[in-house]
Amino acid sequence: MEFDWATFAFQIVNVVILLAILRHFLFRPVAEVIARRQAETAATLAAARTAQDTAQAAIAKARAEAAETEKARHDVLLAAQTEAEAQRKTLLETAQAEAARILAEGRAALARQQGADQAHELTLARDLALRIARRALAAQPADLSGYAERLAAALTALTDPERRALLQGGNLRLLSPAPLSPEDLTLARAALAPFGITPDPATDPTLIAGLELHSDAGTVRDSLSHDLDQIAKAMRDDRTP
Amino acid sequence: MIDSPLSTSAAFALGPVTVTWPVVVTWGIIALLGLGAALATRRLSPTPGRAQAVLELIVVALDSEIKATIPGDPGRFRALIGTLLLFILCANWSGLVPGVEPPTAHLETDAALAVVVFAAGIGWGLREQGLRGWLATFARPSWVMIPLNLVEQITRHFSLMVRLFGNVMSGVFVISIVGALAGLLVPIPLMALDMLTGAVQAYIFAALALVFIGSSVSGE
Repeated sequence: MEFDWATFAFQIVNVVILLAILRHFLFRPVAEVIARRQAETAATLAAARTAQDTAQAAIAKARAEAAETEKARHDVLLAAQTEAEAQRKTLLETAQAEAARILAEGRAALARQQGADQAHELTLARDLALRIARRALAAQPADLSGYAERLAAALTALTDPERRALLQGGNLRLLSPAPLSPEDLTLARAALAPFGITPDPATDPTLIAGLELHSDAGTVRDSLSHDLDQIAKAMRDDRTP
Repeated sequence: MIDSPLSTSAAFALGPVTVTWPVVVTWGIIALLGLGAALATRRLSPTPGRAQAVLELIVVALDSEIKATIPGDPGRFRALIGTLLLFILCANWSGLVPGVEPPTAHLETDAALAVVVFAAGIGWGLREQGLRGWLATFARPSWVMIPLNLVEQITRHFSLMVRLFGNVMSGVFVISIVGALAGLLVPIPLMALDMLTGAVQAYIFAALALVFIGSSVSGE
């Protein structure tokens, strides 16, 4: 066995040299890169934390502002609702007052219109009554002899069976609106004499004017009341003026 | 290797100094590692590529191992432990190159490595604890233990040397004998096993060196 001290010394030097070489070319640069990256990572993390803190602060601020905005919105809405309610109430009261005023005016106008209509209707009725009276009066004879002649003509115009039934019916009476004077009664009976009858006189104020011959079998009318009834009936049947 | 494992063959002579093959192979390993390190760290960037990632992985693993053994900044021991690991690994695996014998298969290289570790332990112990404190560690737990602690300082580094030498030399020796007897392909499994053994021995040497230096630093 032999131990080469020179080789031993060489190897010690070699290991030391290799240690220096690897320290300089390998371990130090790589460690520095790792340290630099760790520093950058730490700086990035710190920046990220700062950004996160800033973001959280911004979020908190935004939330606070949102809460304030919500409160302000609520206040504005409440004020608007209150104002709207007041305006609605005012408008409602104004509308109700306006409606009452319009209704009162309408009622007044209606009353005025109704008064005018009533006056107009009264005028029409008066005119109508005047026309009826004129027409009826225009058709009346001038005296009792005229009524007697018209009564006789009406009897003549009846058919023989109708006339015989009327004249032979019992209780034959000659009606006038007022008691006839003896001369007028004589005159009336003279006009009816051709028919062979002498009716008893009777009074009916509703006739107004004229003569009517009544029996239990029928009636022959020749009076102003009858003419008025005829005119009214004609007007009811024909509504044209 | 069919000669005595305890003998070294001369490569050339520099005047009165004879340079042996283990020294020459070591120079080759130094050149390879130095050149490779220079090339690999030429363009380091914060965004690592594949090669840089491997280098950073090695450094981070070293730092992690050192931190687990010695508290404090791992950068103090990174270069020494890392150099021991890489050199022993390359030296052990250099036997795979035909015609090359691993320098660690020779006692002088292992002794040199053990002496470096021994010196580093003394140096770091003195730096961290001072002369008085470092000397006081030999009297722990009692002054009676001083002779035993002094012997332990020698023997544990001697065992460091012998363990590496025995494992690597035996592997190389076995492969040489089997290769001489059984032909070309038969030693291949043994060579693979030798690679594993070489890696394990490199790790063991570096780990024990770290433990020994750590004990000197902490005084325990």
